Amino acid sequence: MESALKDKYSIVGIGETDYTRGSGRSTRALAIEAIRNAVTDAGLKMQDIDGMLSYHGGDSVNSSTLAYDMGAQLNFYMDCSGGGSSTEALIGLAIGAIEAGMCETVAIFRSMNGYSQVRIGGTGSRASTPVSGPGLMTRPYGLASAVQSFAFSFTRHMMEYGVTSEDLARVKVAHSNHASNNPKALMKQRVTVDDVVNSRWIVRPCAHLLDCCLETDNATCIIVTSAERAKDLKQQPVYIRAVQGRGTKPGGDFHYQHGPISRVAGHYVGPRIFDLADLSHDDIDVTGCYDAFTYTVVLQFEAYGFCKEGEGKDYIKSGIVNLGDKRPNNTSGGHLCEAYTHGMNMVIENTRQLRGIVDDYCPDWQNGNHTYDYSEGGCRQVRNVNTTMNMGWASPATGSALILRR
Amino acid sequence: MPVYEYKDLLLNIIEQDSEYFGYFEAAKEHKLVVKKCLDCDLLRGEPGASCPWCSSMRSEWHEVSGKGTIYSYQIIPHAILPGFRDWTPYPVVLVELDEQSGKPLEHDGLRITANLLDENMNPEHEENVAIGKRVNVVFQDMENGLTLPQFTLSDEEPAGAIWRYPNT
Repeated sequence: MESALKDKYSIVGIGETDYTRGSGRSTRALAIEAIRNAVTDAGLKMQDIDGMLSYHGGDSVNSSTLAYDMGAQLNFYMDCSGGGSSTEALIGLAIGAIEAGMCETVAIFRSMNGYSQVRIGGTGSRASTPVSGPGLMTRPYGLASAVQSFAFSFTRHMMEYGVTSEDLARVKVAHSNHASNNPKALMKQRVTVDDVVNSRWIVRPCAHLLDCCLETDNATCIIVTSAERAKDLKQQPVYIRAVQGRGTKPGGDFHYQHGPISRVAGHYVGPRIFDLADLSHDDIDVTGCYDAFTYTVVLQFEAYGFCKEGEGKDYIKSGIVNLGDKRPNNTSGGHLCEAYTHGMNMVIENTRQLRGIVDDYCPDWQNGNHTYDYSEGGCRQVRNVNTTMNMGWASPATGSALILRR
Repeated sequence: MPVYEYKDLLLNIIEQDSEYFGYFEAAKEHKLVVKKCLDCDLLRGEPGASCPWCSSMRSEWHEVSGKGTIYSYQIIPHAILPGFRDWTPYPVVLVELDEQSGKPLEHDGLRITANLLDENMNPEHEENVAIGKRVNVVFQDMENGLTLPQFTLSDEEPAGAIWRYPNT
């Protein structure tokens, strides 16, 4: 059913810190810088923010702490436990909070010293925490990291559809080409299929080192308000066409008891978001497909119906995901090459694409003048972007989606 | 003593952790158990707090044969848990037990995560790990009283084709 709130809310501000490995400061300081950048981008003051949403894994800072630094009085805030696919879901919750009259302008942030303090997968201080609950069934068997927890789905999918390491490597190659045109990207170097398959193994048979995203210290922020209010702000509004999720597969975290385990949550999220948006795949000009690992991209393109089940590898190989082709994916380089932000940077990038002012190496990008020369060190603005889609991933079992338009 | 040390992990297996305590208690007696619903009689691989099929909260631990088939696998050459570094490369397998396979729905099964070990309780060589191979449960007893259910390759012929990623 088409959403009654279609295009009634907007992303009006975006901001991030530098992407580094070793920020040398607190997640509080990082968060404030990202929020300040987003507020400035929107043409707002810190005190104009009266709603806040964030997500964390016990590794961040609370909104109510930041309210002091911002000199703000908040009418609404929630700091939610969550990882990937929370970005899209919190954009939906921001709309809900504003629609309910609880607040007017929401800053959504994610702040993480994801390299220097708390690394995903529980090395460092987390390793000594006593294991209890569901972790008792996996951790004593040496499963701890994200890719290890996803690998049964990946391996099974390789068997079912004949996916190879080279197929996966092509995802990294595409995203690295895009990152080479992104001054912010942590890894700007273009790589080849050989580079990926010759990097050391992390989990056989589904992930080499270069199939994995880049743990990063960073904070990111997205500001949401009503489309009505957006008209008076600094930037060309980007409209939230529809948002869906976080949704799960049957069985949630224990989806592998049901199967098919190679099918992921987008299978359930996808039909709903296209219904809500009253759009189809052909309407999507740019995608932001959560690339915690190269494999998450392959599985999500299948699950969301951009290709058939088993044809994700062919979708990538066709080149459609490359800048200059029909529907580029992760034009910033995504988690594999720009930075690992738990999904925020892909929504930020699509917002920039829709504004037409992507921060690439074109001399006059700030005024929206682009060369459309996608060779290394060049442009990454896509021509005539009207509609973008984000596909957020938490695990094979949980995902969310967002469609934006100009 | 509810906290067991194992490979530098602290496993807090207490009675109040009611979904999992019985699994490890049974393992001490060398029994592999799953939860059985006392209302609809269906078994479930993830113990859980209620029956996903009929929502009953009445269940009992039910011993299964410990025979199954490798449903998926991974080999970990890069251990992020320090205690597993001397085990690398080690296999972790998702085993589908023989009981209730493909029921009540086509893709359903009782699926248990464990390591695939050899007869000396060391990680099985990875060239021997493949989807479709038959396995049996074994019990890894630790001196501190902890027992972990694990799996080992069976002599039984696979029912169908086996698969492992080529050249790894």
